[in-house]
Amino acid sequence: MRRLEMILSRLAWFVPTLAGLVIIVFLISNVIPTDPVRVLLGENATSTQIEAMRIKLGYDQPVWVQLARHFRDIVSGNLGISIYSQRPISEDLISRLPATLELTLTAITLSVALGIPLGVISALKRNSLLDHVLRVISVSGLALAAFWLALLLQFFFSMKLGVAPLNSRIDGFGPTPVTGFMIIDSLLDWNMESLHSALSHIALPALTLALPAAATIVRFTRAGVLDVINSNYVLYQRAMGLPPGVIVWKYVLRNAMISTVTQIGLIFGVLVTNAVIVETVFDWPGMGTFAVQSILQSDHKAIIGFTIWIGALIVIVNLLVDITHSFIDPRGSR
Amino acid sequence: MKRTILAVLAAIAAATAPVVAGEAWAQGKYVHANNSGYDNLDPHAIYDVGRAASRINFYDGLYRWVDNPPKMIPWLAESYTSSPDGKTWTFNLRKGVKFHDGSEFTADDVIYSIERMLAMKKGAASLFLPIIAPGSTKAPDKHTVVFTLNEPSAIFLATVPEILMVNSKLVKKNEKDGDWGAAWLAKNVASSGSYKLKRYDPAIGFVGERFKEHFAGWGPKAFDEIEFRTVLETNTRVQGMIKGDFQGTDGYLPYDQILRLKESKNVQILEAESMRVFYFSMHNGRSLMNDVHFRKALAYAFDYDGFIKDILKGAVARNPSPNPNNLWGAPKDLKGFTYDLEKAKAELAQVKEPLRPITIGTLAGFSETEQAAALLQNGAKKIGIEIKIESAPWPVVQSRMQDRDKNYDMVPLWKSTYYVDPNNWVGELYGSRYIGTRNSSYTKDAELDKWIDEALATNDQEKRRVLYEKAATKVTEQAMGIFVYNTKWYGPYAANVAGIRFSPIGSGQDMRWAYYK
Repeated sequence: MRRLEMILSRLAWFVPTLAGLVIIVFLISNVIPTDPVRVLLGENATSTQIEAMRIKLGYDQPVWVQLARHFRDIVSGNLGISIYSQRPISEDLISRLPATLELTLTAITLSVALGIPLGVISALKRNSLLDHVLRVISVSGLALAAFWLALLLQFFFSMKLGVAPLNSRIDGFGPTPVTGFMIIDSLLDWNMESLHSALSHIALPALTLALPAAATIVRFTRAGVLDVINSNYVLYQRAMGLPPGVIVWKYVLRNAMISTVTQIGLIFGVLVTNAVIVETVFDWPGMGTFAVQSILQSDHKAIIGFTIWIGALIVIVNLLVDITHSFIDPRGSR
Repeated sequence: MKRTILAVLAAIAAATAPVVAGEAWAQGKYVHANNSGYDNLDPHAIYDVGRAASRINFYDGLYRWVDNPPKMIPWLAESYTSSPDGKTWTFNLRKGVKFHDGSEFTADDVIYSIERMLAMKKGAASLFLPIIAPGSTKAPDKHTVVFTLNEPSAIFLATVPEILMVNSKLVKKNEKDGDWGAAWLAKNVASSGSYKLKRYDPAIGFVGERFKEHFAGWGPKAFDEIEFRTVLETNTRVQGMIKGDFQGTDGYLPYDQILRLKESKNVQILEAESMRVFYFSMHNGRSLMNDVHFRKALAYAFDYDGFIKDILKGAVARNPSPNPNNLWGAPKDLKGFTYDLEKAKAELAQVKEPLRPITIGTLAGFSETEQAAALLQNGAKKIGIEIKIESAPWPVVQSRMQDRDKNYDMVPLWKSTYYVDPNNWVGELYGSRYIGTRNSSYTKDAELDKWIDEALATNDQEKRRVLYEKAATKVTEQAMGIFVYNTKWYGPYAANVAGIRFSPIGSGQDMRWAYYK
């Protein structure tokens, strides 16, 4: 029952959170000394053209009127037209969402697959040489800037070794889109060449995102395992003669994972943020490159649209984390 | 008196246009990495240099710019005549031209295309809005079009290639709520151009398939497919060229990247002097900046040789006036300013107004603008002028430049070629008729205006040359801007690519001429 209340409470906060986000981004966009209408029409536009377009797009209205109208449009599912691509922003974002999701989900899977086992090993071998090495690597991983790591991986794996593609999602334009996820669409198409291409293209950008995230997971898992490994119930299980592997992976890890799961939710937000840079370096046609192009073109509505989508995505992921949390640690949800 | 250019232009066309119609040799695929996105394919909505490839390769105009120095060759039109008053222009259209869907190109398509441009008021429309009234273009017959201008315009012919022809019947079928088919044409192509749209994803780019039935025919070799991909990161484009993933990329890369590419055996660098003048735009309509002595002091305080030889490694050519050296209308014996702090101090001594800090707006991400600003800041400091540098993305800088009050005092930037005529440079940058659009110097000089207006009103080439030379000389001598260099184009292409015909318009991205060796 408490779990349902928790979910409803989180959902109730969903709307004001996004509304606050819209207001902040809208006001910041209006502070930037750029005239979106001039940007839209270019340097050759006459003042008559500019004024006509300003009225047509409603930029002649006071800021609060523009904001109210923007809210009205958002509620009706209309994020407006991108002044640069001149297409509906929702259409642009929908077409790019699968690319970003495919990249971030692959990265988060990689970081969990790397981070949790290494965190456990680090805790079990506490203060050993291996532990020190893992700690140095994880601290370094946290300190690495995404763009620098991306360039480094490109240079080494793509240019020097030639084992990974330099950029883009797939060779050419890929299989006929069904889900928009290149890996899934290649499987649906049963096109192994395309699948190989999609997997090899995602390797470097996913690794770029995953390494710093894995470093965080290593640190939290290590701390979590160390926290519970000396507790009475573990001592009892040892006394009962349970094999060490079962104690660690079945009982210790479940309790140690509570803070790690919370971190994974937060990491998702970081991954989406880093994706903006990583997508640009790897020419990955997702929402990150859309955001960069929108910022460079001062496309205010597109920037707001991107922020709303990312905000919603992060709120949803955090809700899922809370639900998962309630299953791992049911004490708070009974 | 009617002026007929038929014979000359037809001869040029015969010499330059490809000759083999119908089937051509299979030549595989060419992949180009582009530094900006192909968000929209509508030829009447876009007009920026970064997205030129979709306009040039998918669409045809009545005339076409090729080569360097640029020359205009007949394309969908075979010839033209103009009336003595320079207001009526009659174009005779090529017969038998087919659109990609097999329908015939006629004068109705020309009329629909120009009316669409005037109605949408986007892209290249601003070139025509002041001189062509909606509804004034007529078609006496299926293969003749008559443009009647509001006023004589000597640059009209040079801008005609920017009227790109859409298949009117097809676009009309896809119009929605009176949008002139804008939503549909943003992601579809309705044309007669060299390549047909095969695949398009705004997030990735486009693939064009060779239109074998194109009226101009094809050379013995031509690419079967061209793919233009968006690759925003410079380093990724350069590495992709070295690795062989791309067969071409943009020709205005930073020079250190060009040097890097020159070391690769996979890459060849084609060089050409372009028509892209790098200069400091100066706000001549503001206090202090409107003092000729102050402007001259600044012009003497910039280290031209240091910038060109040391910073840019001699990769560009000094260009002392607003007009490119390699274009008619550039004053031949004009020396321009040199770096001379003594002369700068002497000029500054004649300034009566109290000095104030000067603000330079630079283009974020374009390091040359930041380097040039820093160099001027250094020189100016030595004579007692304080300069503040503010960096911002191009849309921010552009917006401010078009607003007299918000404009910076100075902005270092390039003036690209939109049409090949001196008016593109000295006319638009300093003619008061362009204030609020391309004239962001806010210069209002009666003598300059007289020369520029006269040059626009006559078709006498020699008279126009003299007028533009006088205008460019005055602008330079009065330091209405600081003119630094004319860009060299360094086109990076795969080592086995041949046939690239660079023109300052299109920047070597007109792919119908290119092939693999």
